[in-house]
Amino acid sequence: MNAWQPDSAQTVKVLLFASLREQAGWSDRRIPLNAVAVSSAREIWDRLELGDLPQVVLVAINQEIVSADHPVHAGDELAFLPPFTGG
Amino acid sequence: MGSQPADLEIQILDQPTSGGLQLDTWLRSRAASDAATAVFMGRVRELAMDGQTLDALELDHYPGLCERRIETFTRRLLEQHGACSALVLHRVGRLLPGELIVLVAVSADRRGPAQRCCAALLEALKHDAPFWKREWSHGVGTWLSENTPLGS
Repeated sequence: MNAWQPDSAQTVKVLLFASLREQAGWSDRRIPLNAVAVSSAREIWDRLELGDLPQVVLVAINQEIVSADHPVHAGDELAFLPPFTGG
Repeated sequence: MGSQPADLEIQILDQPTSGGLQLDTWLRSRAASDAATAVFMGRVRELAMDGQTLDALELDHYPGLCERRIETFTRRLLEQHGACSALVLHRVGRLLPGELIVLVAVSADRRGPAQRCCAALLEALKHDAPFWKREWSHGVGTWLSENTPLGS
């Protein structure tokens, strides 16, 4: 059994990019999930203590853009994405 | 860094490039029926958005999602505009003024589809792919909150 499995079985990996990363002071962190209730991406955000989730921030779960109210499951990769400024 | 499906090539690069070698290689691989090619190349400006001298531009991206979104919207735009193939180069990391940020090339059988698809693909790269720019001036970094609108 890999060392990461017990951890990822009970947590979600949260990624922050660009200005959100700078605001939080970290880029990735494992957040424990509530054992009895399904959490949404927005509920996970609220636990990061970064203020209200800005409307312009997109949410990706397992590298798919989804709504902020999408459920999050143990082992998921949850990313919060500020407005894109490429090109 | 990169993927190469049959009708499009995407390269996310972390080192400086003029884009010339990649463009030449891609052009040589085009079918003779792709008679028209439109190319856009964007380079780092010398001034930041607030008018200060720009020391460097930092480009962050979300690996994996970035390449997949580019592939998805490029395929959609090629079909929508009736174009045949596309080359997309995009830099990440620390860029100096004058360095290439982005190169988009689209081939088609006529100039109209090639030019329209090239313009639409560039706008999609600016607004629909998870890249983020930070401008560095006098040792201070500022994340951009939006791109300049087309036409400004």
